[in-house]
Amino acid sequence: MKKTLVATVLALFTVSAHAEYEQINLTVFGMDCAPCAHAIRVSMKGIQGVDIVDVDLNTGLVSIKLTPGNSAVVRQFNQAVEKNGFTHKDATIVARGTLTGSASAPFFEVAGTQDRFALIPASTMLDIAPLLGKTVTITGVLPQASKGKLSDTLRYNTITEAR
Amino acid sequence: MKSLMVLACAFALPGLALAADHGPVFSYATPVNSQRELSFDTGIFGRDGSRGTQLSTGSGFGYGLTPHITINAFLPATFGSGSLPESRLVPGSEWSAGASWRFLHSVTSVGKRIESTASLAAVVPGTQPDSGVLADLHRAPGVATTVATGLASRSQYIWVGAGYTRFAEASHDRRPDTLSWSGVYGYRPAALRRGYDQWDYRGFAELTGEHTGNVQTAGVILPNSNTTTLWLGPSVLAILKDFAISGGVQAPIFRDASDSIYGAEHLRFAINFSYLKYSSHSSSH
Repeated sequence: MKKTLVATVLALFTVSAHAEYEQINLTVFGMDCAPCAHAIRVSMKGIQGVDIVDVDLNTGLVSIKLTPGNSAVVRQFNQAVEKNGFTHKDATIVARGTLTGSASAPFFEVAGTQDRFALIPASTMLDIAPLLGKTVTITGVLPQASKGKLSDTLRYNTITEAR
Repeated sequence: MKSLMVLACAFALPGLALAADHGPVFSYATPVNSQRELSFDTGIFGRDGSRGTQLSTGSGFGYGLTPHITINAFLPATFGSGSLPESRLVPGSEWSAGASWRFLHSVTSVGKRIESTASLAAVVPGTQPDSGVLADLHRAPGVATTVATGLASRSQYIWVGAGYTRFAEASHDRRPDTLSWSGVYGYRPAALRRGYDQWDYRGFAELTGEHTGNVQTAGVILPNSNTTTLWLGPSVLAILKDFAISGGVQAPIFRDASDSIYGAEHLRFAINFSYLKYSSHSSSH
């Protein structure tokens, strides 16, 4: 138990230090049964860089943890949902990347991918000017986009400088 | 003993037909395979009548071309002789291959969806003869079409569907056209709404009906050879990850068929095993 705890802490530290998308929590509509969830899980596990996938059928929440150094992109997870005949809604992400643009029009470029999002605050506007050009870790929500599309805005909750 | 051996071999065949429907065993339903999902089915279907018991087994295969289109095929084998009327709800000796298209797919909330699926298949006479009045007919291929619509949710399932099969004429003989319909209600108790890594159970009440047209032999319509029947009974589906097993029984609640031609059909039963191979293929970015 103690070893497991230590391993988990170490793993989390490693993830926060190196990973790009670190965690994606995706709400999926339409899954009625265990095989639906199993199919989603198998599809998600087939994406390179995915470490752990958990599916809660009663809330529709698909939680994906990614391995350090992955280059997975959100579009792949959306496609995995679509190919199983379901619909993806908002996604909560934890990702590492670079803050670009300006203080009034900031962008977040996810490391190791070509994903780039305009940043808007989910609630309180943060002073992000000191972080421009730096590597940061962001938590936020990618709003649902139409099928085959990806939202170009990220509603951020927290932005911290990555160590 | 020999029949049992043949039955066992047929049972062990790699699946080739019936797209695994994740649903009822007798009724029409809407689920199709996910994209690149392979499904293998094998099972045994029985019809018990006053002139004997007729069993059919076979192998089914389904493959999801897209999230909403599945191609499928079914290779059956039959055992016993019941001299029973044509049926498209219980597999007979015909081979079939076709496609199903989920043309309506409305996802309304977590765990719930409303959808409609249509299918079209070519039906080809198998190598085994039929029994009873159908045994003497020259057989020709036919076309089968079905449509189903309904709701799937974490707690309840409701589907209604109908199908029509028409056979071509061969040497002035023709198998009867068949119109089939079904309505099914399914329920999963709250205690069984569990995770993907546990057995998923649900129960169904299945109401099915069929009307078969007249048999044509040597260009002449056989009098009183058309039938209409209604069947009702329960079924259960259990799934764990890649494997599913379902079974059910039905009894007639209405029967309008000539006893002198077909005898009296008392019972239908089915048990089906499925293997579902989900695709882990992902697109690169």
